[in-house]
Amino acid sequence: MMLLRVIYFASSPAGGRCTKVQKQHGRLVCEEFVVKSYFYFMKRSIFFKQLLLTGGAIASGQELMAAPFSSKPKKWLVPPSLKSGDAIGITCPSGFALQEDIAPAVQYLEKWGLRVVVGKTVGKKDHTFGGTDEERAADFQSMVANSELKAILCARGGYGAVRIIDKIDFSPLRRNPKWVIGYSDITVFHCHLHALVGMASIHAKMTEGFPSDPAVFEPTQLQALDTLRQALLGEKLTYSVPPNPRNRPGEVSGILIGGNLKILETLAGTPSDIDTRDKIFFVEDVGEALYSIDRMFCNLKRSGKLSQLKALIVGSFTNIRPDDPEEPFGRSIYDIVWEQVKEYDYPVCFDFCVGHQKNNVALKCGVQHRLQVSSEATTLTIVGS
Amino acid sequence: MSIQPPYLRKGDTIGIVCPSGYLPLEDTNACVQQLQEWGFRVRIGVTVGNKYHGFAGTDEERCADLQQMLDDPSIHAILCGRGGYGMSRIIDRLDFRSFRKSPKWIIGFSDITLLHAHLFSRLHISSFHASMARAFADKNSPNIKTLHSALTGKISRYQCLPHQLNRRGEAVGPLIGGNLSLLAHITGTQTALPKVGAILFLEDVGEYLYNIERMFIQLKRSGLFSNLTGLVVGGFTETKDSKIPFGATVEELISAQVEEFSFPVCFGFPVSHADSNVALKHGAMHRLRVTGRSVLFEELK
Repeated sequence: MMLLRVIYFASSPAGGRCTKVQKQHGRLVCEEFVVKSYFYFMKRSIFFKQLLLTGGAIASGQELMAAPFSSKPKKWLVPPSLKSGDAIGITCPSGFALQEDIAPAVQYLEKWGLRVVVGKTVGKKDHTFGGTDEERAADFQSMVANSELKAILCARGGYGAVRIIDKIDFSPLRRNPKWVIGYSDITVFHCHLHALVGMASIHAKMTEGFPSDPAVFEPTQLQALDTLRQALLGEKLTYSVPPNPRNRPGEVSGILIGGNLKILETLAGTPSDIDTRDKIFFVEDVGEALYSIDRMFCNLKRSGKLSQLKALIVGSFTNIRPDDPEEPFGRSIYDIVWEQVKEYDYPVCFDFCVGHQKNNVALKCGVQHRLQVSSEATTLTIVGS
Repeated sequence: MSIQPPYLRKGDTIGIVCPSGYLPLEDTNACVQQLQEWGFRVRIGVTVGNKYHGFAGTDEERCADLQQMLDDPSIHAILCGRGGYGMSRIIDRLDFRSFRKSPKWIIGFSDITLLHAHLFSRLHISSFHASMARAFADKNSPNIKTLHSALTGKISRYQCLPHQLNRRGEAVGPLIGGNLSLLAHITGTQTALPKVGAILFLEDVGEYLYNIERMFIQLKRSGLFSNLTGLVVGGFTETKDSKIPFGATVEELISAQVEEFSFPVCFGFPVSHADSNVALKHGAMHRLRVTGRSVLFEELK
């Protein structure tokens, strides 16, 4: 019975299956691991070795869940910064974007000295999607495979990335790493690249963040947009936001990772799920009800994503869906977060400049950062390239 | 095979608790009356009628009330008064040691899906996915009758109309499932449904079509479908669509997502947040038979 249960657990999170279990030193150890087909880009031997490295031991459900996720490809990749004349692609892996929607982005990127390659999905429309799954996957795939491209800007979020993520072969990125840029639904890509490909990416504004006329944009928007340019060109990024009385001060260094909370929840337990241990973890969301945000924070906690952080960065939670007037939720976003992190002692900061808002700066996921949370300010500085 | 708690006999006591959302005390009147008419005694927990924002009390109050009912040997079954939201906040604080030694039936659905999943995946104990207190307002509700049959140990046998997107076949396995939002929410946690050769059933209310698909894909990518023997799709009621239509119905999007598998699938099963919500014994062995003309879903002895 015990053995059977272990096999059930072992077969769960990363889609692999433990086919042989042995008891060693009082712990159940997975002796043989069969990896399913969608791990095509990850050699079975590497996976097995990493399973051993991470303990591979199955003492409890919790521990086992952590084991396959902590596996990483050998060398962590940070794509090279772009230089004048480098090419950047624009594609629509999620919602549709028309040619005129991306025109300001093209103009700006060219002004930054980059060559723009507009993907076939731009201008395509299949209901809410930027083309059929096949079209969107093929467009993204061609940009992954095109060694001339140094970056891929996702035109829009919306919904659709998770429909195509398993259709894309990311292995060319191991030879030719390039920056993948976007946020919201594009969190699927950030997590997938982080969990399975082992490559840094940029959480930033998409084509909607480029103004057709700079005069109509507020300085905040233009500054946020310029952080993307700085990130792409490899300039040193430092962000400072005013302190929030609910912050928990501290100073840490760690790899930055995170994104849209809803997407993080809907990737939990899948091969694209991220390991947040020892990371500076950021979250943001839009259009959710407070009870739903609370439930998603329960998921973060219950899936082990809050216990071993270096720090937690809370971005904006905009357009919060109003409560039923009969049953107001009665807690603010600050209360919700505090309730989940009060038992830990890492720094926590609120109102950071990331989210579905004007001030949504470029953040390099998978790159080392230093975070200082003090009574004067919250400052995030990039340490790696 | 999961453990089946003892069925109820006349004179047994059913406890009513609210581990999630707030339920006014008067909303349990019809329920109490009906349970008494069936010959059961009823004990009302302190969380019934208790209110803390949208919850039926603070986490401590809800947890303590449910814990007390789990541990009290004079309570033979626990009926959750209402769903809503709140189980996620207390599930890890509950102590099932005493309950594990002397299990009892737990009844509910929607937010209570989390408890059913926990009981099955962590404790291997069966429970009833069924209507809650307010459903008793309709005395002639067939849903309530199925709950009575289930509680007294009758084996369930349900039929439903054929659906053009049904996939024919026969499946045998333990029945697992419930509310899709909750099943997605627990994926990646210790409460997640195990990837066993089960028959999965799903229902949901008030969700956007794209979000239903996203959650369905999450379950699929978590590996939950690779060992499934059958899929029973209940009602997805009050679904919402974005300004630009999603372009597929719930039935169509699910059909497309399970195309790569071969297990039988039936749509329109009477489990939902609307009128049809029959009692289902979570964790118990069932057989699903889907033909071009009929759907038969029965519990196996």
